Amino acid sequence: MVHFSWKTVAFFVAFVGVIWACSTSKDTPDPTPDPDPNPSNTGTDRKLLLTNIADNIILPGYTNFKTKFDLMLAKSDAFAAKPDQASLMAFRQAWVDAYTEWQKVELFDVGPAESKTLRYFFNIYPANVTGIEENIIAGNASLELPASYPKQGFPALDYLINGLATTDDAILQKYTTATDAAKRLAYVKQITTQMNTMLTAVLTEWTTTYRDKFINATGIDVSGSLSKLVNGYVLNYERYIRSGKFGIPSGAMANGVPSAEKVEAFYKKDLSLILAKTAHQASIDFFNGKDVKTGKEGPGFKTYLTALGAKDSQSGKSLVEVINAQFDASNAKLGTLKPNLYDEVKTNNAAMVAVYTEMQKAVRMLKVDMTSAMSITITYADNDGD
Amino acid sequence: MGQYWRTYTSAAPLAVFRLAFGVMILGSMVRFWAKGWIDELYIKPTFFFPYYGFEFIKPLGDYTYLLFAVCGLSALLVALGWFYRVASVLLFLSFTYIELMDKSTYLNHYYFVSLVAFLLILLPANSYFSVDAYRNRSGFYDSIPRWTIDSLRLLMGIVYLYAGLAKLNSDWLLEALPLRIWLPGRNDLPVIGFLFNYRETAFAFSWLGALYDLSIPFLLLNRFTRPFAYAAVVIFHVLTAVLFPIGMFPYIMIVAALIFFPAGFHQKILSGLSHLLNLPDLLSGSKILIYSKQQSRFLSSFLIIFFIIQILVPFRYMLYPSELFWSEEGYRFSWRVMLMEKMGNVQFKVVDEMGQQIMVNNEDHLTKLQEKMMATQPDMLVQFAHYLRDYYAQRGFRNPTVYADTYVSLNGRLGKPYIDPTVNLAQETDSFMPKKWILPFRDEIKGL
Repeated sequence: MVHFSWKTVAFFVAFVGVIWACSTSKDTPDPTPDPDPNPSNTGTDRKLLLTNIADNIILPGYTNFKTKFDLMLAKSDAFAAKPDQASLMAFRQAWVDAYTEWQKVELFDVGPAESKTLRYFFNIYPANVTGIEENIIAGNASLELPASYPKQGFPALDYLINGLATTDDAILQKYTTATDAAKRLAYVKQITTQMNTMLTAVLTEWTTTYRDKFINATGIDVSGSLSKLVNGYVLNYERYIRSGKFGIPSGAMANGVPSAEKVEAFYKKDLSLILAKTAHQASIDFFNGKDVKTGKEGPGFKTYLTALGAKDSQSGKSLVEVINAQFDASNAKLGTLKPNLYDEVKTNNAAMVAVYTEMQKAVRMLKVDMTSAMSITITYADNDGD
Repeated sequence: MGQYWRTYTSAAPLAVFRLAFGVMILGSMVRFWAKGWIDELYIKPTFFFPYYGFEFIKPLGDYTYLLFAVCGLSALLVALGWFYRVASVLLFLSFTYIELMDKSTYLNHYYFVSLVAFLLILLPANSYFSVDAYRNRSGFYDSIPRWTIDSLRLLMGIVYLYAGLAKLNSDWLLEALPLRIWLPGRNDLPVIGFLFNYRETAFAFSWLGALYDLSIPFLLLNRFTRPFAYAAVVIFHVLTAVLFPIGMFPYIMIVAALIFFPAGFHQKILSGLSHLLNLPDLLSGSKILIYSKQQSRFLSSFLIIFFIIQILVPFRYMLYPSELFWSEEGYRFSWRVMLMEKMGNVQFKVVDEMGQQIMVNNEDHLTKLQEKMMATQPDMLVQFAHYLRDYYAQRGFRNPTVYADTYVSLNGRLGKPYIDPTVNLAQETDSFMPKKWILPFRDEIKGL
């Protein structure tokens, strides 16, 4: 008897539970507002988020970059037509502007940029000087294979316009009176053409088909846009900002032995910090969903995490606050550096390592805390709960 | 009690179970193969995480495909009840071998399948509606000891009940974690998606989920509640299949729960199938399978031991001082399903006597899945550390030491260091003893 009545009780409890669940979840057309400032159903609307990121961040970001890049192409052609001091200076300035602007789009490692591996044709450094010189002599070398990545893009141009000799006259000579001058000019053209082809292909795909695909893939599985976006974003922050710009040159990641010659923009030298700061700020702005044109914050990682109510349950601080505080801490360390990171590695390497260390803390928050809060999946495999 | 072992019942439920189970496992194997997972999970990786004591079990290179073929084929034979004894042994061995090859693919339902396959070796599931009984009438029985069917029900009951008990903790009940983290990710589903924007939904799901697991075995046993209970089984598992990437588990459970239905129900299924497929008569006849005294004694004592182990093993975590969800000491093989959103990141450093030092890129050695699983499980961290020690020793490192810089987040708590970064993992061993180099959780999850 006792047994039976227990079962009856269990059944009724279950039954009442179902009724209760139905009534709480269905009969609340106007749900009590969450403590979060954003109503939860727009803040967690991934289509809104993806649309904002596509239309107000990624696409205008690429447009800005294309403007600077096209200008560089023009200056590069002008230089090729008439290599002299003035055209060299103009080319260099356009290169600086385009390279700096590139830092604001390198993090969009999603969709066509990812599938076409855009970064590899734009910014793999240190440049392979021997390889570049061999390519110049050979003429028309392939720029498609992985081995060719450090022989092209901005780093190769850095070498070709800043690093051929110590004086401008000597550099200009290489393009005018030297025996392989024509071949050298042709190689510059080949590199810029390659960059142009890749960029055009990426932009075309974004504007024709990928934008719609991107905003409609609202899932959080591996094939969803948010998942791809987060993975590309974190990878960029970890491998191409933290490691590439600081961890590797400072030796923090390699046996503690510094390799100053592995800094970005090695030949221009005084540009390296600006590039790093630009890239870092671009990551921060992207996290906060900042509109590239208006500078106003819109739907992005920040609003999404806020709407999810992501916070450290132990301290009660919101995850967004925690991550932005860590970005600030990295910025503070970046602020102590002088413009020439090559010199910094040589004379002030502890400050370089300190930047790496701060960025590593941010990497973990992005890679673990943010990804976990968004419950982003990283593999297709079955999972029954970690 | 002695009387119980001599009670007899219709063989139909067991025949249906055998058929359905075999088909589900065959389906699992085909699905696994078709998705390219054999290559991705068992052939491509260079390193695998073995289970403690089963280090000799490794993928077989290209022959791994053969292993899956054997498993699929034996599942088919079990379904048909054809060469059943051999097939059921092969099914258990091949399936379990597959699951033991790499810890990073551990799923509770694979363990469940292994246990069921093991029980099926002992059960006379081919005595009715089977090719074996058709080919050899002396093996035909329409009545079998009642314990054969009850043992499967008991196993199902344990799975549900323990899954329910595991949910009785503060994260699940008071914080609706991890569902509160997971559900908003599904708010783009048609019709019901909007519900997942509300915290109330996560709470309702958490409480109902716990209630469901704790009560469903009893509700399935009672004939008045059974139809409702089975409807709940279907709704619950279909919902989990829609919401989470848990593979075949929901379908296996939906089918397996049929074992709670009475003989008449299964008889109808079998005659319906016979009619539909125009099968020869596999159903008529009347014969009781009676085991000899020795057989009966052996089987009953064996089963009692088996179930005592099943009942005790999930509680082994109590022998460890650490927080279970954090250290995962005693976590597996305990029906703890969907309880944690846990994520981690680990950076290994290998140093040798001469001061030579290297930061390891995990991706050079592990798949994404392996890396993800390892980052939050200490036994896997130490296994990989040993692999790194040997790997670098072969590459000129003298007496390499291995250190792990770790960061783990559990159910929305901000990540923190997981493993003592000053401990040389090359020298630590994986065993069932508490691992002192796991850093404390510094928080409390109350409950079972």
